[in-house]
Amino acid sequence: MQISDHTFDDWVRQYQRLLFGIAYWWTGSRTDAEELTQEAFFQAYRSSSTLREVEAVKGWLIGILRHCYAQMSRKSNRRAEVPLDGMENEPEEQDMLSADVLALHQSLAKLDDRHRLPLVMFYFQQLSYQEISEALELPIGTVMSRLSRARKMLHETLETPRNLIVMRKAKQR
Amino acid sequence: MNCELYKSEMYAWRPGSDAVSFQPLFDHLARCPECAQFFERLTTSDQRIQRTFQEIPEDRSLESRILAGLAHQRAQTKTHRPRWKSWILLPLAAAVILVVTLGVMPRLEEARVGKEVAALLNQPPGLQIDSTNRQQILDWCASVFSGPSSLPPELNKVEFRGATAVEVADHKAVLLKMKNEQRASLLIVDAHLTRESGFKSMHEKSGSAALWSDGRRTYVLLYQGSAQEMHAYMVQMGIEA
Repeated sequence: MQISDHTFDDWVRQYQRLLFGIAYWWTGSRTDAEELTQEAFFQAYRSSSTLREVEAVKGWLIGILRHCYAQMSRKSNRRAEVPLDGMENEPEEQDMLSADVLALHQSLAKLDDRHRLPLVMFYFQQLSYQEISEALELPIGTVMSRLSRARKMLHETLETPRNLIVMRKAKQR
Repeated sequence: MNCELYKSEMYAWRPGSDAVSFQPLFDHLARCPECAQFFERLTTSDQRIQRTFQEIPEDRSLESRILAGLAHQRAQTKTHRPRWKSWILLPLAAAVILVVTLGVMPRLEEARVGKEVAALLNQPPGLQIDSTNRQQILDWCASVFSGPSSLPPELNKVEFRGATAVEVADHKAVLLKMKNEQRASLLIVDAHLTRESGFKSMHEKSGSAALWSDGRRTYVLLYQGSAQEMHAYMVQMGIEA
């Protein structure tokens, strides 16, 4: 499909916040999320011919974001390098996060990608099972069962006593 | 189904889910206060999680950074395009040259043939034979061509009264005079030529021509007259039905 530069720029304005949000919760890092969002749009621009229909642009962009995330994860397992549970309290003036946000980050960090990825899409954007299934290239039944398990794990983790910590950036800009 | 299994069902439920599939769950919630309380806590917690997910850092410059990156990418693409195009254009240019060569060269060759034959027809012949013996004429032609000479089957009935050796654009050729028709002559060129129009224009302004080729030699029936007159002559000589 031929996409004009003007249309693509409009998509950047419309969906950059969505992609950034998903990437932020996937990675737990603002810097990584910015990097992923940019790379996803650059890759999307280069491969705009793979978009089958304009109506599917949101799922298509999220699918590309997931590929970028997979590439980033392969290059360096940043979450493993900076385990949240083992972090010291290091307040960062630029990122003073609420207790709920910190707890959520800690809980998500304990999930593996198979559960974290659909969970973020489910809560952050309330994407339908179908949309998540398309973006992750998984059967809808698999998405439903993983989401159900992930929600249970998330609720159970959030119910445990919280160790309030301030997240250290996984990667400094 | 026990309460634990129903609790698992609760995690699969989301607002807007298929009501029929989850009807057993809601029937159980209506009967089990403990599970109903758990479901209420779960729903409240879910809403809170959802609100928390909306708390993402503000980054007003991200959009402009992406757009700037795209602009840079586009500029690079434009810079590289001519180089890419040159690779594509190279074989294209070669193909164009080939087509032009193949298309134009034969026409140039034929134009040259036309001019030279027109000049020859106005000059006294250098080598010629006067004879009405068909075989003798053909033998003489063979000596000019330095090889056997035969005629296409269409010209088997044609008789001659003489022949002249000529040269057409570096090709050996003979011009045979027809016995019973002053206006007709046969030009045999020791080359494979394809276009008839060139011979028409070279012969006479109002002349006509018919062309045969066996792949090695070209036989041109030249006629000082219209196409209809030539056609009548060809029918008379059994050249054309």
